[in-house]
Amino acid sequence: MAEPELLLDSNIRLWVVLPIVFITFLVGVIRHYVSILLQSDKKLTLEQVSDSQVLIRSRILRENGKYIPKQSFLMRKFYFNNQDDGFFKKSKRKVVPPSPMTDPSMLTDMMKGNVTNVLPMILIGGWINWTFSGFVTTKVPFPLTLRFKPMLQQGIELLSLDASWVSSASWYFLNVFGLRSMYSLILGQDNGADQSRIMQEQMSGAAMAMPADTNKAFKAEWEALELTDHQWALESVEEDLMGRELDFDGMFSKELPTGIF
Amino acid sequence: MASVSELYDVGWEEMRDKLRKWREDNCRNSEQIVDVGEELISDHGSKLGDDVWIIYEQVMIAALDCSRDDLAITCLQELKKQFPDSHRVKRLSGMRLEALERYDEANKYYEAILQDDPTNTAARKRKISILKAQGKTTEAVRELNEYLEQFVGDQEAWHELSELYINEHDYGKAAFCLEELMMTNPHNHLYCEQYAEVKYTQGGLENLELSRKYFAQALRLNNRNMRALFGLYMSASHIAASPKVGAKVKKDNIKYAGWAANQINRAYKLAGRGTKENKCSMKAVEEMLDSMQITMS
Repeated sequence: MAEPELLLDSNIRLWVVLPIVFITFLVGVIRHYVSILLQSDKKLTLEQVSDSQVLIRSRILRENGKYIPKQSFLMRKFYFNNQDDGFFKKSKRKVVPPSPMTDPSMLTDMMKGNVTNVLPMILIGGWINWTFSGFVTTKVPFPLTLRFKPMLQQGIELLSLDASWVSSASWYFLNVFGLRSMYSLILGQDNGADQSRIMQEQMSGAAMAMPADTNKAFKAEWEALELTDHQWALESVEEDLMGRELDFDGMFSKELPTGIF
Repeated sequence: MASVSELYDVGWEEMRDKLRKWREDNCRNSEQIVDVGEELISDHGSKLGDDVWIIYEQVMIAALDCSRDDLAITCLQELKKQFPDSHRVKRLSGMRLEALERYDEANKYYEAILQDDPTNTAARKRKISILKAQGKTTEAVRELNEYLEQFVGDQEAWHELSELYINEHDYGKAAFCLEELMMTNPHNHLYCEQYAEVKYTQGGLENLELSRKYFAQALRLNNRNMRALFGLYMSASHIAASPKVGAKVKKDNIKYAGWAANQINRAYKLAGRGTKENKCSMKAVEEMLDSMQITMS
């Protein structure tokens, strides 16, 4: 059934669509700066730094071990993985899961995260819903089922209206997620206004705690290292090298740099 | 005395960019840095904005190298005014004391930094360099080993340790350090070449074979590394001349040495092209290669 096209007042575009975009954007920028101000420094202990470097070294051994002689590789693998006193077998770190109860700084971090992100979103969403209510704002370009109507058409009591026509509140939410790329353009990659990234972090952050990771990371490295074999990259280096003449191009140019500039 | 900008006819922006390039490339051309930097700070300090602080640091370290204590003190005072509680500035004060050979006072500064922040690598490294400056090599080696146990990823430290071991003629351990560096930087031909040289110095058939392989690897990574080319020639001829090798190995190594000699000749011919003395220098190269032949004794 062909829908009669609704013609919206162009005032809507001027006074509703654009202001919502601006409001969302500015609120995002403010959120970014507030999160920077409220950030607490994280102090790393010596052990954490040392452990992270050991893990990096083990990973490099796995990846680039083929550039050192077989004997050296085996010596290092033995140091890490030996049954009784290999580093990964022997080191057990104290595991203190940072639950909000035991670690006060975690609690304040969570609170700050909530305040800067969730609260403004709710407040502004509600305000926009109240201010710009009672009319249709825009149309989403794809067809939606009727189930979306109560969600997207908050203030509009029209049973026959196509679900693609949405209210200003949904336009606000669209903006919140859509302006993410604008934020990266203007504020740089790691910005505090990035809503969805923060929500993702909150979801995954609740599942894994930092210090407990070290023991698991050690175990994972141990397994990976056990599996690695040494394939010496220099087996046939002379043959490869002597297959052709050396390239001396540009080695003896007449120009020599003089002075500083 | 003419200023740098007059001599080379450059503006302050080019001077600032040149300093930045030297910073990024980690160049240690202290006299040039002092010349350019001193003029930049005194004449154009206000135009630099926030860059001026890092330039102060760069110029100060260069001034210490050139014994310009006056310039060093000026830079240090400016930095202290701007960043009163900074560990980085404290480290610079310590470095100045080191330059004046007041090692005990410098050590006190570094201890203070470490008390406050045990993970500060710069202060620990300065303490080790004090030991090195005082000639206490064995202690420096021991401290550096302890440092590396905690911070295994510090490549500068591994390289320093390999140098210390080479000075102590402990080639086995130097080779270990260089292996760490080769693993973290597999495409750096200089580490391969240095490793090969250490192995060559250690001697023994296995080490000579390893050194030949690594010289070849260095050449593969950078075709123009003449030192590696000579090293390849030497190690191959050394193996070929050894009485303990089998016939096939001998033949292979003679082939390698011959190829290397060819390449050396080519390089010298290329270097001398267009010059009148080319024929004489080619003959000199031939004689040199012959004299480097290791004959069985």
